[in-house]
Amino acid sequence: MIAIVDCNNFFASCERVFQPQLKDSPVVVLSNNDGCVIARSNESKALGIKMGAPAFKCAEIFESHGVHVFSSNFALYGDMSRRVMETIKPEADDMEIYSIDEAFLTFEGPDSEARARALCFKVEKWTGIPVSIGLAPTKTLAKVAVRIAKKNPSSRGVTSLRSPADITFALQRCSVEDLWGIGYRSAEKLKSFGISTALQLSQADSSWVRRHLSITGVRLQKELQGIICSPVNGLTPRKQNIRTARSFGTEVGTYAALKEAVSTFAVNCANKLRKEGSSSSTITTFIHTNPFKPHATQYSNALTIKLEVPSNDNIEIVSAAIKALKKIYRPGLAYKKAGVLVGSIVPASQVQLGLFDDVDRTKRTNLMKSLDSINSRLGRDKVRLAVQGFDRKWRLRQERLSPCYTTRFSDILTVSIPR
Amino acid sequence: MGKKLKWCPAGDVDFGSVPFFDEGVPAGFPSPAEDHLDLDLDLNSYLIQHPSATFCVRVEGDSMTGAGIQSGDVILIDRSLSPQKGNVVLAVLDGEFTVKRVDVVDDRLYLIPENPSLKRIEVGEESSFRVWGVVTFVIHKV
Repeated sequence: MIAIVDCNNFFASCERVFQPQLKDSPVVVLSNNDGCVIARSNESKALGIKMGAPAFKCAEIFESHGVHVFSSNFALYGDMSRRVMETIKPEADDMEIYSIDEAFLTFEGPDSEARARALCFKVEKWTGIPVSIGLAPTKTLAKVAVRIAKKNPSSRGVTSLRSPADITFALQRCSVEDLWGIGYRSAEKLKSFGISTALQLSQADSSWVRRHLSITGVRLQKELQGIICSPVNGLTPRKQNIRTARSFGTEVGTYAALKEAVSTFAVNCANKLRKEGSSSSTITTFIHTNPFKPHATQYSNALTIKLEVPSNDNIEIVSAAIKALKKIYRPGLAYKKAGVLVGSIVPASQVQLGLFDDVDRTKRTNLMKSLDSINSRLGRDKVRLAVQGFDRKWRLRQERLSPCYTTRFSDILTVSIPR
Repeated sequence: MGKKLKWCPAGDVDFGSVPFFDEGVPAGFPSPAEDHLDLDLDLNSYLIQHPSATFCVRVEGDSMTGAGIQSGDVILIDRSLSPQKGNVVLAVLDGEFTVKRVDVVDDRLYLIPENPSLKRIEVGEESSFRVWGVVTFVIHKV
């Protein structure tokens, strides 16, 4: 059986571990820059606060219901995620970390449901994070199962879809748009052909599915029928592209400030490439103004620069990102967001050198190695390219940031025990 | 001799990378300890049995001085352990954190401060109470 372990309201739960007085109170976590709601406790969901709702539109409901609002604290969530995954690992036969708060596991043997229940208990006890587990023959069905586990308190965190009758029953009650891998458009298309439940999709003619949803649709259909198309894979797949983007705390107008931000994002992408031993040959920079200010002049643009030789070198990636920025920048506007995306990723060891390449690659690789080793000791971006600057006018707005309880000694939980 | 002394500022010498024992002692008896070089003492492995379940918490207040927990100390909490009678625990009593020794007398649950001037606290049925984790070590600066 394949299990998916999914942390309940993960970011909100992380905050609650260290603030137990919020146990039954509405909690929300806002995205970078306190922009919109990205996590909600069950109490907040019950108040009708929607995922992705802009924070300024929720101000009233936050106020009137005493909602506890947090800026996102990714240092904390990242560490809590690591703890959750490490707690799960010894209990599974195989494990694939799927996202910050989800992991696929395989459970062999007839006692998989009992093992899932024990795991559910263990993760909450060890880390304080409540999880739900869906068990089924395939990943897609496990996703269906975990949805049921989350919605029905009677499942006590674990739902197992084992027998064909159980699976049919669950698929009948699952709409196609709730399936893993079905986007809004595919769902609309399916519905226009009268396919609205997962069961209907699993029983549809497979050549029809192939025609309308391509090979991905066929795979999905097979998974719904209990045939594994996407096995649990302990190896993390190489990323297709890497993106670093931020909304700015306050809007940015000057080229200098944007250049600083874009270089920092580009360096961030290059760091990630080196970390996984990859190189990229297409570097895209994008910028846009604030769409929530309809009266301001709106502008958005993106440009991709292609490198002759795939690279993970800070200097090359930053140069390309700035070259793109220079072309798309328009003065006199208030920019709200910028980002860098690196694509066409290949393993660094398989890079083909260019015929007219004049960069001393060995020297540059060594330079990056030294840079990484210094920064890993002294802190991120301690040694940086001058273009990254120190102004950080574009930095995040995080007005309601909780302490980094688990990663900084200066921030650990303080308990007062006078009595 | 022909060799020149080379001056370098003391700040450039990285003492951290100078191994304590090394081969190539130019004369004399080779160090008998050479084959017995061990790794550094690892405080983490001494203090932390379950890394993913262990958290650090700072304590302020004098109610547990008798258990060796002084105000300002950092305590280690292992959430994976099941609390036993007599353990010092980090608990949540009516939504607030506290550190106390747990005791059970005649089926009643008590939180015992380790300070003679303070009284034990009975955890009544009406109060919300749970153990957050078991205290395993105190880090105290002398």
